[in-house]
Amino acid sequence: MFKSNNVTARIFQRQICTPAPGTSIYSARRFYENIVPSCTIYDVECPDHSFRKFTEDGLYLISFSRNHQDLIIYRPRWPSFSCKEEDCDTHELPPKAKKFEGFFTELYSVSLATSGELICKDFFLYMENNQFGLFATSTAQIHDAPAVGGAVQGVPCVEKITFHLLRMEDGVVLDERVFWSDYVNLAHSMGVFLYDDLLAIVSLRYQRIHILQIRDSGNLVDVRTIGEFCREDDELFLYSSVQSMANPDKSKQLHQMTMNHAANGLHHDRPAGETSFLSGIKQRLLSFIYQGIWKEETDQTLRMQCLKKKFYFHFQNYVDLIIWKVQFLDRHHLLIKFGSVDGGVSRNADNHPAFFAVYNMETTEITAFYQNSTDELYLLFELFCDHFHVSGKNSLYMNFISTHSNNIHNLEQLKSNKNKASSLSQFVKKMLSSLPFSCQSQSPSPYFDQSLFRYDEKLISATDRHRQSTDHPIKFISRRQPNILKFKIKPGPEAGNTDTRSKKISSFLFHPFLPLALSVQQTLFLQPAVVNIHFRR
Amino acid sequence: MGSMLGDWPSFDPMNFSQLRPSDPSSPSRMTPVTYCPTHDRCQPPPNQVIASESRNILLRNMYKRTEDKLRSKRPASEILITDQGLKHPRTSTAESPF
Repeated sequence: MFKSNNVTARIFQRQICTPAPGTSIYSARRFYENIVPSCTIYDVECPDHSFRKFTEDGLYLISFSRNHQDLIIYRPRWPSFSCKEEDCDTHELPPKAKKFEGFFTELYSVSLATSGELICKDFFLYMENNQFGLFATSTAQIHDAPAVGGAVQGVPCVEKITFHLLRMEDGVVLDERVFWSDYVNLAHSMGVFLYDDLLAIVSLRYQRIHILQIRDSGNLVDVRTIGEFCREDDELFLYSSVQSMANPDKSKQLHQMTMNHAANGLHHDRPAGETSFLSGIKQRLLSFIYQGIWKEETDQTLRMQCLKKKFYFHFQNYVDLIIWKVQFLDRHHLLIKFGSVDGGVSRNADNHPAFFAVYNMETTEITAFYQNSTDELYLLFELFCDHFHVSGKNSLYMNFISTHSNNIHNLEQLKSNKNKASSLSQFVKKMLSSLPFSCQSQSPSPYFDQSLFRYDEKLISATDRHRQSTDHPIKFISRRQPNILKFKIKPGPEAGNTDTRSKKISSFLFHPFLPLALSVQQTLFLQPAVVNIHFRR
Repeated sequence: MGSMLGDWPSFDPMNFSQLRPSDPSSPSRMTPVTYCPTHDRCQPPPNQVIASESRNILLRNMYKRTEDKLRSKRPASEILITDQGLKHPRTSTAESPF
């Protein structure tokens, strides 16, 4: 759209030209080629907190105290200072402008964790339209906990996990939800998915998916719990049927149990392990697999052979599958990843078999079922990756993150990796291992837009993960003007690290739309982190 | 209801006169009242209402493939090739998932 690279010429051109339909955001983003965070303030003096991320609307910077007890929120702002000289651009910034406080104002500090609890630093979800933040605190993990009350053997146990819903404007805790003797994978928000106002929390220990709604008032409301039961009234129906069939003594016991459930709500320990039924979701899954294999053959003998080989032979393996991770595909559909118990808790699940199922919460039916090495699912992933990266309808910036379905450069990279891969099924497994996606794990900053800049994805990328730190600056090169370096991000001290032996990791926090970024370099030995501010002067 | 843009000066007086707010509560969202056919080879069906599909393309594809599999007797890999018109190396159906 723009004929010139000069920012003034582009502004004039913008006044008279309209962008092609549907490309107004991409056209506006081209200005980020001209406005880059090229200036760095090294090793800025800042409070010793763990800086987590910017919220998607750019209004807040989330950080936690080192002792994992407090939450501190900053408002990003721009430094302001005046210069009375004639040629100000060449002057160095005055020392006052180079402070952390020049860029960030502390709004408030809230103590979230009581004694015995710690804030999970990796966990944070943001609801943009109401400016609500979801945080998690937990007590220590108990290993080798006995599997009681329907719990899965082999999954660790945490005595108390609390989710806190905060109003970000003032830090008021609006609601809390506690999970007792449970396990939710809080690292990188993997066990929780937020879509619009719906929250899906996966209880790995009890194999339940809790669906909650965040109301505008700030209340967390239970919508349904998928696991033993699929429909809201399944439990009532089951117990009332059993009750009416059993003898009077037993029916009194069951009646008492039903009363207990009604009184304690969803999080009471159910004696689910004592029933002989498979859980509701498992029944749906098995019947879907059965039907699929049944329909493959019309000949009765071949059909039975097929069933024996593909279904009954693996029946116990299918029954032993547990839910690993869940994401929303839209308001009614969940993408559920199933796998073995060992893979669910280990860090590297590559060698464990995994399956994907699409579950419709309204009809309680399984819509699709794939193994993690199927070409079919990989094809859908390659073509429609954007639909796996669901973002709420109110979220503007999150809809423009570069993926291989919306960006030619990402697609070329993917295809080149595919061609270089030694085994296609291993490649497919590796690509599908990123599903289901974790919520809000990518930065919407335009500096990660692959159409604008080229950068080394091993050193920095939109995904907010800690990476191995190097002493060399990370270059962002323009895509449209090849080989023109636009800006560099260098974590760590300006002169480089004197101690080259200790391993350093870096994390990068990019503001969603301002040319402002923080790089935090830390060693693994609790030394104070080196924080650099990268911004446009 | 009068069109919001119907009275503004424009090159052609008939421009914007067909636009009506689709939802009275948000009058800035304009949709054309009718779609006009670009040819006269055949007439559009009467009382046809065009609306966008509520289910996204990924879910539509997944539902379609599952329906095809459950309806037809062909194994899934064949449906994949026919649908997309692309060549894919077949996965070995004898391979055990576990």
